[in-house]
Amino acid sequence: MTRPIGTPGRASWKEEAVGMVLGLVVLALLPFLFTDTYSRHVLIMVFIYAVVASNWDLSLGYGGVFNFGHLALFGIGVYAYGLLTKLAGLDPWLALVASGIVATAAAILVTIPILRLKGIYIILVTFGFAQLVMQVILSQSDYTGGTQGMVRIPGLYWFDHNMVRDGKFAYFFLALGLLAASTLFLRVIVRSRIGAGIVALRDNEEYAIARGISLVRQRMITLAASAFFTGMAGAFYAAYQRNASIDVFGMSLATIILSMVLLGGTSTIYGAIIASFVLTVFAELMADFGAWRPIITALLIIVVMLAYPTGLAGLIRAGWAATAGRLRRAAPAARPARTG
Amino acid sequence: MALLEVQEVAKAFGSLKAVDGVSFEVEAGEIFGIAGPNGSGKSTLFNIVTGIPFGPDRGRVRLDGVEIQGRSGNAIAKLGLARTFQRETSFDGLTVFENALIGATYGGSVRATALAEERAAEALEFVGLGAPSFGRLAGELSVFERKCLMLATAVAMQPRILLLDEPASSLTKPEIEASIGLIRRIAARGITIVLIEHVLTFLMSLSQHLMVLNNGQVLARGRPAEVIADSRVVEAYLGTRRPAA
Repeated sequence: MTRPIGTPGRASWKEEAVGMVLGLVVLALLPFLFTDTYSRHVLIMVFIYAVVASNWDLSLGYGGVFNFGHLALFGIGVYAYGLLTKLAGLDPWLALVASGIVATAAAILVTIPILRLKGIYIILVTFGFAQLVMQVILSQSDYTGGTQGMVRIPGLYWFDHNMVRDGKFAYFFLALGLLAASTLFLRVIVRSRIGAGIVALRDNEEYAIARGISLVRQRMITLAASAFFTGMAGAFYAAYQRNASIDVFGMSLATIILSMVLLGGTSTIYGAIIASFVLTVFAELMADFGAWRPIITALLIIVVMLAYPTGLAGLIRAGWAATAGRLRRAAPAARPARTG
Repeated sequence: MALLEVQEVAKAFGSLKAVDGVSFEVEAGEIFGIAGPNGSGKSTLFNIVTGIPFGPDRGRVRLDGVEIQGRSGNAIAKLGLARTFQRETSFDGLTVFENALIGATYGGSVRATALAEERAAEALEFVGLGAPSFGRLAGELSVFERKCLMLATAVAMQPRILLLDEPASSLTKPEIEASIGLIRRIAARGITIVLIEHVLTFLMSLSQHLMVLNNGQVLARGRPAEVIADSRVVEAYLGTRRPAA
């Protein structure tokens, strides 16, 4: 006879699902709160960054694979969508999914040379991969536009709804849907036996192999799983902006997204999403500070990381634990004293 | 036919011959001890038998008649050959229960969630890590608890043979006593055990057969009492008596 044990020491799926639904409802209410187009644009960018950052957390945080080519997967999604819709004439929705598949295939390809590598060497190879992809795009300027990029890329559609003149209402919900699907996918993975295997391999490679985990298979799964929604986010970005630029391969965007992963706290998924929101909104609020903006943002990151090395997720966990402790201590005091 | 047959295996690192033509056989159900001074090649022998992190330069390793040298470490584990490591090792980012689940699902190839969970829970309780510790992070455990957890993850694989690399290292005397009891109980489950230890009393209390290595070669082999009485073994451990002046 078997007896279900569940996940001792972890939040149950039921608890997590309640949190996810509540979070989704709050986010879905935002466009009714922020009715101006610019605020909605910022939120759409938050969702796109959140997808990219949280997927990077899977390979970097959970997997411990220093994949510095993650943003190249985003860039591949951007250009795959542009080429598939504009040159091949593929339906935008099909191109969106196909871009995720192309990014996944690219991730599998980059896994091969890094299978036996560790640490700094993985950074070197994956960084080289990003540069290689960029050079290929630049060299094929007849199709990709080279340094000029691609313009007038077809956007997404929703039946007869006018996506251009709805105050970014539809794009907001599509971006939110993408983030929700990506987050659900990531959480299902990290809570599964595959997720446990990914963490085991990160924690101790030789011990994990001694317990039957295949390094090749597991590393490939890690990078492929982190690539699909990253590629789709790239495609969505191209559809939303209606252009593709080589800037997506630059260090600037990579640094911002990496900051989101680290500030949020690795191996949480949710931390990267929260940090995407915090950093993007903070950067917008600091817009008037000009050149001081990145300096202030960097200082904020340093202060948070010094105080809470586990990032914003650690900060929230500590706050939650302190509140729960206070409530527990207050409960007996509130109880009426027994007499007799 | 022996469960584990190791024939003329060798491993060199540059000019250093860490293991040099070692052969031995382990019968099903027995506890086979391997002793030797530091640097004698004991752990390297475990590495090349299990393929983790490397296989032998030459020689053959057979598990129940099937040649396993050249196979990947995880494939060897799935065939039923589990090992532990000299240092207490755990997946620190996972809970105690998740650690054991890794053994059941990957090494033990159990697909069904409920069955894997039952096997993991049973293995943990078997080594003395009861339900209250299931939700603790493995990184928070004491050295002894982590050693027990490492055994639990191996037991959850339901291996045919278990290679234990110095299970008594870093443990206190009562913990060593507890380890001896635990290893006996693992053997009583029908799991064949190969045990490395340089504490001879530990080996003597458990092993049915003993092999002593020195400088990567077999120095002596046989019944434990006979082996430790061998003058070459005494010399390897204690050195030669200086002639009186």
